[in-house]
Amino acid sequence: MPIPDLFTEGLKRDWKVTNAAQLEQDLTLEADIAIVGSGAGGATSAEILSAAGFKVLLIEEGGLFTSSDFKLQEHEAYPDLYQEGLGRMSKDGAITILQGRAVGGTTLVNWTSCFRTPEPTLAHWASEHEVLGHSVEELAPWFARIEERLGISPWAMPPNANNDVLRRGCEKLGLHWQVIPRNVRGCWNLGYCGLGCPTNAKQSMLVTSIPALLDNGGELIYLARAERLQLDGGRVTGLECVAMDERCVAPTGRRIQVHARHYILAGGSINTPGLLLRSEAPDPHGILGKRTFLHLTTFSWAQFDQQINPFYGAPQSIYSDHFQWQDGATGPMGYKLEVPPMQPGFSATVLGGTGVVNSELMQQLPNANMMIALLRDGFHPDSSQGEVQLRSDGSPVLDYQLTDYTWEAVRRTYQSMAEIQFAAGARTVTPVHNDARPASNLAEAREMIDALDLRRFKARLGSAHVMGGCAMGEDASRAVTDSLGRHHQLENLSIHDGSLFPTSIGANPQLSIYGLTARLSSLLAERLAG
Amino acid sequence: MPDTTADAPGINRRQLLKLGLFGTAVLTTVGGIASLGGCSADTPAQGFQQLRKDDLPMLRRVIPVVLVGALPAEQQAAIVEGVLLALDNNLNQLSPSLNTQLLQLFDLLTLGVTRGAVTGIWGSWENANDEAVQAFLKRWENSSFALLQQGQNALTNLILLSCYSTPASWPQCGYPGPPRI
Repeated sequence: MPIPDLFTEGLKRDWKVTNAAQLEQDLTLEADIAIVGSGAGGATSAEILSAAGFKVLLIEEGGLFTSSDFKLQEHEAYPDLYQEGLGRMSKDGAITILQGRAVGGTTLVNWTSCFRTPEPTLAHWASEHEVLGHSVEELAPWFARIEERLGISPWAMPPNANNDVLRRGCEKLGLHWQVIPRNVRGCWNLGYCGLGCPTNAKQSMLVTSIPALLDNGGELIYLARAERLQLDGGRVTGLECVAMDERCVAPTGRRIQVHARHYILAGGSINTPGLLLRSEAPDPHGILGKRTFLHLTTFSWAQFDQQINPFYGAPQSIYSDHFQWQDGATGPMGYKLEVPPMQPGFSATVLGGTGVVNSELMQQLPNANMMIALLRDGFHPDSSQGEVQLRSDGSPVLDYQLTDYTWEAVRRTYQSMAEIQFAAGARTVTPVHNDARPASNLAEAREMIDALDLRRFKARLGSAHVMGGCAMGEDASRAVTDSLGRHHQLENLSIHDGSLFPTSIGANPQLSIYGLTARLSSLLAERLAG
Repeated sequence: MPDTTADAPGINRRQLLKLGLFGTAVLTTVGGIASLGGCSADTPAQGFQQLRKDDLPMLRRVIPVVLVGALPAEQQAAIVEGVLLALDNNLNQLSPSLNTQLLQLFDLLTLGVTRGAVTGIWGSWENANDEAVQAFLKRWENSSFALLQQGQNALTNLILLSCYSTPASWPQCGYPGPPRI
């Protein structure tokens, strides 16, 4: 039986959806509220504000891809669905950055892990960054509302064998582990969340908040890049967008002029600070784009005697926070442990390097496990941080400089992951570093890890979580917006995405973005109605 | 005789430092300097969207070395051609900024004025043996210049992604492919 394509069926109704690539002339659009970005923050805001009776225009740079487009093929999904055609990296090329770019944003391609913002993170924001009104208690009803909306609950099926390595290893060593809550309904347990969900089980923005916006009479325009905010004193007077070609690479030459009463930026960290930088938005304290964070991610590869088939099954269902908060929020850097889905293109590229080690390990892919450590940066003054800058063509890029404080944690992550993988019965473990070789016992792994030359390019690094760059806080000399996401200098501009976070989250950020922006949007609706 | 570095025989340290110090995007800078010395054709080769005629012999030698052990002995040439097409498609959907950086990296590797100095491969790419290609990749990986480390990383990542994302590589890594739904 064919799977219903919810979005395509909706398009047959009276939804207002425009493909800017096909515009034959310039266009002017008017709305009460214009929102840039259709991911977690933008689409959540669009649903709430349109339900409150406002005319909402949602603007997306990427293309529109729906369930019948998702063929579970890496070579098709990566160029279509990711920022810069999966080429996005830190400025020096050392860190691969995975961010979605399509209608639905990163929610279309994330691995469905949902965590409420950790209590130590919120406490740190309140005490160190003058963030008001975001305590665990104040946010709880908003998280509960989103969990209900998106079907978020701990994964009820057994973990796949790749996740079970993490569970077994932690269990054996007496370390913390838990089941991951996922935003799915009727999930088929296929394992291809990163390539677009072909069954509409993932409750991404494509099948939830964006249809709700369109049912509420809102409007969506895609393949439209927000180029520049037009400013007059302390107000935004317009937004200039350029139509992109179907590849989302080159402008077609058509322009879209947007006028709205209020503007919301939700293009995610990197793109949101980038748009403000291009617009030469007021930045009297020179903080725009600064303090941009990653959950810098390291990898450890293990071979098992038994078959794991790590490319199949719900990609993330088990996590460990054993090493996350053990030294408090501001001690040596903490990290969360998870596993990724291991389709071959992703796996081979993470492994990197040349020659026999890569191909020897890849030939045993069905018996492999990979573990990842997500480092929690931004809490300690010496931790690495990034700065969003503009390239000569105006496109944004993240300059991310690693520090000794961060490298110290990188080495610990390799040690932790190797220990867990051997405890789970691994035959060999290879920290994913160009100089590493498969170690056949923990002592050998420990010795190798202690001796690894930790530097860019040798250590294979990635990140799927970019946060900060437009920090919120009450002190206008240290924050771009106030605690409600209102720009400190531009009165009719709000920011509703992960760029608000004053540090990294210390957990996969999607639920933090949903919960926070749901609250900010509801308060904005009250203010605009008042 | 100027003192040449172990990283890139034939190019002296001062020249390399100049390359790295001027301009923000180092690859762009070097590519720019490279393209002053000889003009590579900017039009795509027949059958390709981005790759140019001079890129092909270089990539046809580098791809099998990066993928050594990963390609079946028979029909290897056909698989390499498949990787080239996948790589070309990836380039075609990259952001213009990254696309330009990669094509300028290819310029650096293929233009007569820079090729020998930066890769150690003085003859044509067609005649470079596996050992020479492997030595070039290792030299760049272990170079003290971020520029060369970055170039090696970008080149090998692109080849690995392009190869393993496509079905032709799957039998070698035991991947049965996605489930049918």
